[in-house]
Amino acid sequence: MITAGIDCGAKNVKVVILEDGKVTGKAMAPAGIDAASAAEKAFDDALKMAGCGREAVTKVVSTGTGKSEPKFKNDIVTEVGADARGIHYLYPNVRTVIDVGAEEGRAIRVDEKGKVVDFAINEKCAAGAGAFTEAMARALEIPLEDFGPFSLTSNQEVPMNAQCAVFAESEVVSLVHRKIPKQDIARAIHNAIADRITSMVRMVGVTPDVALVGGVAKNVGFVASLKEDLQMEITIPEDREFVGAIGAAFVAADAK
Amino acid sequence: MIEMYKEWYDARHEYAKEWKKKTGGKVLGYFCTYVPEEILYAAGVLPVRILGSHETQNLTEPHIFAMFCPFCRDCLAQGLEGRYSYLDGIMIAQSCLHVRQAYTSWDLHIPTEFSYYLPMPHHVQSPHATAFLRGEYELFIKKVERWTGRKITDKDLQRGIDIMNRSRNLMKAVYETRKKEDVPMTGLEAMQMVVSSQMTEKAEHARITEGVLNELEGRSRGKEKATRVMLLGSENDDVKFIEMVESLDAVIVHDDHCTGTRYFWDTVEANGDPLTSIAQRYIDRLPCPTKDWPERRRVERILQFVKEWNVAGAIIIQQKFCDPHEIDIPAIRTALEDAGVKVLFLEFDVTVPVGQFKIRVEAFLEMLSGDDLF
Amino acid sequence: MDKYKTEPLKLWNKAKELRLKFYENYAKAHEKKGIRWAGGAWTLDAVPRGLGDDVWSLTSEPYSASIAYDDDFSLRCLEATEKAGYARDICSYIRNYWGSIILNEYAFPEFSKTWPTPDFIFQDHICCSHAKWYQVVRDLEGDVPMFCVDVATGPAIESDGDNFRYIEMKKHAVDYVVNQCLDAIEWLQKVTGRPYQDELLRKAIYNHMRSTSTWAKICELQKNVPAPLDEKSMYSLYVLGTLGKAGQWCADFYDDLYEEVNDRVARGIAAVANERVRVMSDTQPPWAFLKLFRYLEEFGCVSIGSLYTFGLIGQWEMKKDGTWGARTYPKTIDDLPKGREEMLAEYIRFEINKPEWQHFYHPKLKSAMMLKIARDWKLGGAMLHFNRGCEGLSVGIAENRLALQQAGFPVMTFEGNMGDERENDKARVKARVDAFMETLGLKRDFIKQDKKVEEVMV
Repeated sequence: MITAGIDCGAKNVKVVILEDGKVTGKAMAPAGIDAASAAEKAFDDALKMAGCGREAVTKVVSTGTGKSEPKFKNDIVTEVGADARGIHYLYPNVRTVIDVGAEEGRAIRVDEKGKVVDFAINEKCAAGAGAFTEAMARALEIPLEDFGPFSLTSNQEVPMNAQCAVFAESEVVSLVHRKIPKQDIARAIHNAIADRITSMVRMVGVTPDVALVGGVAKNVGFVASLKEDLQMEITIPEDREFVGAIGAAFVAADAK
Repeated sequence: MIEMYKEWYDARHEYAKEWKKKTGGKVLGYFCTYVPEEILYAAGVLPVRILGSHETQNLTEPHIFAMFCPFCRDCLAQGLEGRYSYLDGIMIAQSCLHVRQAYTSWDLHIPTEFSYYLPMPHHVQSPHATAFLRGEYELFIKKVERWTGRKITDKDLQRGIDIMNRSRNLMKAVYETRKKEDVPMTGLEAMQMVVSSQMTEKAEHARITEGVLNELEGRSRGKEKATRVMLLGSENDDVKFIEMVESLDAVIVHDDHCTGTRYFWDTVEANGDPLTSIAQRYIDRLPCPTKDWPERRRVERILQFVKEWNVAGAIIIQQKFCDPHEIDIPAIRTALEDAGVKVLFLEFDVTVPVGQFKIRVEAFLEMLSGDDLF
Repeated sequence: MDKYKTEPLKLWNKAKELRLKFYENYAKAHEKKGIRWAGGAWTLDAVPRGLGDDVWSLTSEPYSASIAYDDDFSLRCLEATEKAGYARDICSYIRNYWGSIILNEYAFPEFSKTWPTPDFIFQDHICCSHAKWYQVVRDLEGDVPMFCVDVATGPAIESDGDNFRYIEMKKHAVDYVVNQCLDAIEWLQKVTGRPYQDELLRKAIYNHMRSTSTWAKICELQKNVPAPLDEKSMYSLYVLGTLGKAGQWCADFYDDLYEEVNDRVARGIAAVANERVRVMSDTQPPWAFLKLFRYLEEFGCVSIGSLYTFGLIGQWEMKKDGTWGARTYPKTIDDLPKGREEMLAEYIRFEINKPEWQHFYHPKLKSAMMLKIARDWKLGGAMLHFNRGCEGLSVGIAENRLALQQAGFPVMTFEGNMGDERENDKARVKARVDAFMETLGLKRDFIKQDKKVEEVMV
């Protein structure tokens, strides 16, 4: 049986084609202003990779902030449910999934069957999501892609005292004025975000194995700070952006 | 001798552990200054106040909803981190809802031999509050006796009262010296004196304070011209902030904090029955805003301090989310301004961005010194 | 898709009338030389009733909730309070209430164009904000006489974390509260110039017991599957108790309501036709976002109540068979003592058991009661409102969440504010509900939204 999963995120649309429990195609397209057409394109690309046509697909399940956009979906699943199911396929031993995207952080406790036991969402605090890293990288005038590796060169810990994203920005400015090396400030910023995320994860409990997915998982600086905070190893899937889409495709397969 | 306060403040845990080893006695951690330490001293138990460490932490998120004050979360974090593992008991006297949660979560998650919630009345302006509190003390004493296996006599209570009163009177004498134009003691030293008295055996602390009083006699800090400032608010032992203020042309001469005057200013007045006397003291003491109603008695005391200590400006420090203080602040602000005292308002978290606060304090001091020019 | 029959409540309009009458009576009290006074929903309102039958009150929390339900007026009130220098994170009921005074507008302009200042304030105190609330009201209203009674004398139940039992109130505690009430009676006579009538106090105390016990009896009926009421409707019914629990009209209404709900149970009438899973909520809901409960229903999920709706007004006791049910009170008014002090003591010993007063001392007490509801009312989970607007009812809520989860009940939480619309992110809360319903295995029915305008009284 062939199913498809679509993760319609704020930035990118991801599509996964699943045949008998194996991923046979995947594709990504920028969401842009028309997520519905982006979904069409990514769907076709993924099908091409899988070597089949739309008619071969039994069921399509959509997830992500724009999950209602794709016209060809048959059903939807929440981001929480999709992450849980996706990680269960990739790493069945994972019990805690941390998903940090641009605007939102999520922590999910999963049981041995990939079922959601509990979840927490950080939605109010901008200091605990990817957008904050971007703003801070801008404030330090460092390209975003260099921001993580750069922070790893720090060799002293500087505390960030502001507890709020708005204040943090001006604190960063005053740290710069105090001639604190930029790499130390970068590290302090990653520590601060990791602290917020850890707070959230503690709500659902930190049960190993722990996996980190979502765009911010690409930031090695953040990953280092998070490991230090949680004091444990963290699994980061290679297909970290596709976890939601994989989950959605499995939800589609499970239903039949 | 004055450095002793800082040493104790910095090494609070080592002190308590050492005390236990030395005396074989029990140490009880308490969460609010409405706890009657007289009774604990009478029982031979060492009361130490549980305070935060002013570090960011993420352990308390599952236990206390984020809209409660950072202070109560910081206190609980100390327990969850295991820093108070030497405590034999914990207790709280009913005060605000915030710090109460530090106690209840501690009670739920950190096993401790003895745990007690003392229903301290809120209506302290009622003539019936003392009798109720006395009734509660009787119940409390029974529990403490069962815990320590030792009877508490009236003589013991009198000893407890004497220990506490001596400490209070000495600290008041130290505060008296701050009336001088050349204030011999920094605000930081004063804060550390009071807070360390909450963390050490009172008689030992009193001996040091006697020496400090002598030391202060001839001490000059050469800040005669500095602006005289008073700090007001809930709990404040933010060393970095106080240091920053005093690194400017300002000198802190007084406070209204439970890590300051609200803790020690009032003594127990003997009136026969020691338990009634103790109860009366906690009913009549400088109140926390949670208990300061229907009249705002705190305002009168603040204005009295302002006058006698010749305060030019007041910095109101508000612990984020502290409703009882927040509700009082506009009234206090008006009262101070009517008395000719300018006010700077700052909202505090567990850690504060000192750099940004410095700019505001500097501007405030500039405004105050501007007044002198014209 | 509909499993059960459903029909509207017959007493709905009656409830609506009573509520409006309450706000009218207060506003117009002076026209008939009556007295008007203000106090919280938990105040010992039987006490001022001894001044006469023409003494009308305004209870602050339901009044503020009424403001909150009207987002435009609420926003104006909140902004007026902020402009006056008060912090934005203070209790949102308080901020709505103060705003109404500052703006000099009554939330029911049909009864009064301007803010009707009370003749006196009579408040209770267990939440830090109770007496402090009115301290500022006095600043704003120009020194209205005020008396507050501290009722925070310690818990009425004890718990091992799972079960709980009631304990007797200590004598020195009864004396403390009774003595404050006796002082209050002297004070009331002084500030109003009226003589005090113990017989009226006695009637009021009896009505109080009747109202609060009957409300609990109604809540007990919610154990039935399907639930005869949904929580959103219960808000409009329990509110009468918050307005006038010691009034005869309130006690009589609850008697009638009990009859009707009982009849619904007998006939199998459901509140929600597609009831599949039952949950409870906690703390005040975001009043301007009650549609949340309708959204749950789209999944076949019905909130059958909460410790809040059951125990804010309702009085309960542990029955011999281990069930938790309506508190027993004297069979007739003649069984109440006649002496002022004695009847006050009986009143206080009764009222101190209020379920919603217990968590002020320890979250484990509330957790135990919540678990009792979760088990005996056959719940599949809980949806807790982490209410940024109310310190008093949010105290310990994070521990309640842990306790429910530990006992195996799925819990969803959402942050919001009962009275400050600016703090409610409706889309995100719905997204949370989606995820929670998914974990409960519930699919959305995509039922049609009600065409009629949602009517709620708060």
